[in-house]
Amino acid sequence: MIPVFLGISIISFFVMYAAGDPLNIIRLGRPNITQETIDALKVYYGLDKPIPIQYLTWLTNLLQFNFGKSLYGGRPVNFLIGSWVWETVKLQLISILLAFAISIPIGINSAKKQYSKQDIAVTSISLFGVSMPTFWLGLILIIIFSFQLGWLPSAGAYGAPYLWWDNPILDEIAHLILPVTVLVYVMLAQNIRLIRANMLEILRSDYILAARASGLSERKVVYKYALRNAIGPVITYLGISLGAIIAGAPMTEYVFNWPGLGRRYVDAAMRLDFPLVMGINMIITVMTLIATLIIDICYVYINPRIRIR
Amino acid sequence: MASNKIGQKKKGKSKRRGASQWAVAWRRFKRNKAGIFGLIIVMAVFFVGIFGSFFAPYPARPDPHAYDPFYDIDPITGIGDVRKPPSWMDPEEPNSWKYLFGTTPIGTDVFSDIIHGTKYTVYVGVLVTVITMVLSIAVGAIAGFYGRWVDNILMRISEVFLVFPSLLLILVFVRIFTVSVGEPFLNIPIINIQIPTGLTIVIVILGLFNWASNARMIRGEFLRIRELEFIEAERALGAGNIRIIFRHILPNLMSSIIVVSSLTIAYAILLEAAVSFLGFGDANTITWGQILQENFSEMRIVWWAEVFPGIAILLTVFGFNLLGDGLSDAMNPRLRD
Repeated sequence: MIPVFLGISIISFFVMYAAGDPLNIIRLGRPNITQETIDALKVYYGLDKPIPIQYLTWLTNLLQFNFGKSLYGGRPVNFLIGSWVWETVKLQLISILLAFAISIPIGINSAKKQYSKQDIAVTSISLFGVSMPTFWLGLILIIIFSFQLGWLPSAGAYGAPYLWWDNPILDEIAHLILPVTVLVYVMLAQNIRLIRANMLEILRSDYILAARASGLSERKVVYKYALRNAIGPVITYLGISLGAIIAGAPMTEYVFNWPGLGRRYVDAAMRLDFPLVMGINMIITVMTLIATLIIDICYVYINPRIRIR
Repeated sequence: MASNKIGQKKKGKSKRRGASQWAVAWRRFKRNKAGIFGLIIVMAVFFVGIFGSFFAPYPARPDPHAYDPFYDIDPITGIGDVRKPPSWMDPEEPNSWKYLFGTTPIGTDVFSDIIHGTKYTVYVGVLVTVITMVLSIAVGAIAGFYGRWVDNILMRISEVFLVFPSLLLILVFVRIFTVSVGEPFLNIPIINIQIPTGLTIVIVILGLFNWASNARMIRGEFLRIRELEFIEAERALGAGNIRIIFRHILPNLMSSIIVVSSLTIAYAILLEAAVSFLGFGDANTITWGQILQENFSEMRIVWWAEVFPGIAILLTVFGFNLLGDGLSDAMNPRLRD
């Protein structure tokens, strides 16, 4: 865990140095800036110190939740992240929960009746889902449901005049439908393929045969004995998605102009707003690592054969 | 016991000599309709990519004739053919083949743009995959073959790349390295090919961020094969590490490498489309993602410029995925009956 954290922090930090002198950006926008001001800024930002020292300073600041200030507007990064993060978490949490609730029964059914019509339909639709650019599905939905039919809003998370009977909650739901559909479809496709592949292998194993032979009901065999073993990789995937939850889905947020962190990240990367980019990266890293730790602990409960040494 | 096993091995080998491993795989692959469908799509994409410029109605973008529809001015309205819907669904257009997929707000033909974009798609898919596979085979082989602390370090590094949502880092790196690109095209003198600089930078970055999961797969295979008896036999005969890796382990991995390559091409094409769509691509090379990006803001009107390039991406990626799935079914020895 800690090596991974350090690894990503080093990559994140040297992203900035890959771009050359960070002060170039300031210099570019202000042609009349004097060398003295540049030098003063260099001292102010600590850029006159050697790089390892800068890295350590940045890291210790990071551990105290001090991410620095945005290069554009100069507001503190954690304030900016805090004000954007909720829309993203809302969108992601709803989509992830929905996707997992739907995909597990579908994947199991698909595996139980391999090569049935239902299975072939599900697998081809999910292969289609894996092959589709996420953002393009969003574009198509916008073209159909908001531009042609005019049923749903095409952008944003809330409307100035509330949609749908002037109700703020219904308005939020109206804005959520399309982005959630996109995210769920994409996750669904991956999940179903994962669950189906695992279930297929496990349903053929000897202990399932033994369970069936001892006269257990089909439901108990599948959901109690097979699912427990098939769910492992799915849980890992769930963990990674939950960890990356505030990374959002930059593409989906971009398409729907969602006022969340993913969309802001794209803007920040475009403007090379390093403190913001590095801050978001590090928060995502920490959350992903915590999520993987929790998942590892969950494994022990799901699969008692794993013992913590 | 040991001699018995060697004997069996020899028997198996001589039996299979009639039809090589590849012939068997091809025979199995031919029966898989989905796989053949994928192969046809892939071959069509390569064909259009290589020969597309010969049958595209308008030339590629830097050529001023690409904007011919813009100057095709209507005597009544005084406007060129901009924002024209696909001709076959336009009641005012007598020639229903004129603009198959419509025209863009800047007056280019979407159909031509898509055809010219195909070569970039092929370029992206193949080159990203080459970089990815070379890296992942190198890392996987070293980690899997040498094991111990080398393995430990390399796997920790690969975790860094796996855990983090790589699109985010890719975006920043792409932006940093393309922001100061000077020449849009690099000329290679002898074979007279122009290489798009910005797109190549994007490709290298995509390749550098994609190797981790493939490397772990290859490492796993190396770990498995390293322990098999024929490797022990080779070692007893005095073969060195390099010889064992290249002559004995890698050929055994060829089938999985081919399968993974096909799936990696699909993923690379999707990723490049995403990067271009978000506006981080190379504006000088009109890839499919770039077409989507250019017309995104006018999507309400020129929806055809968003729908058709997307279908092109979808079909291509679908084709490579089907091919990969078909190949893995055909070459997986465990499924052989």
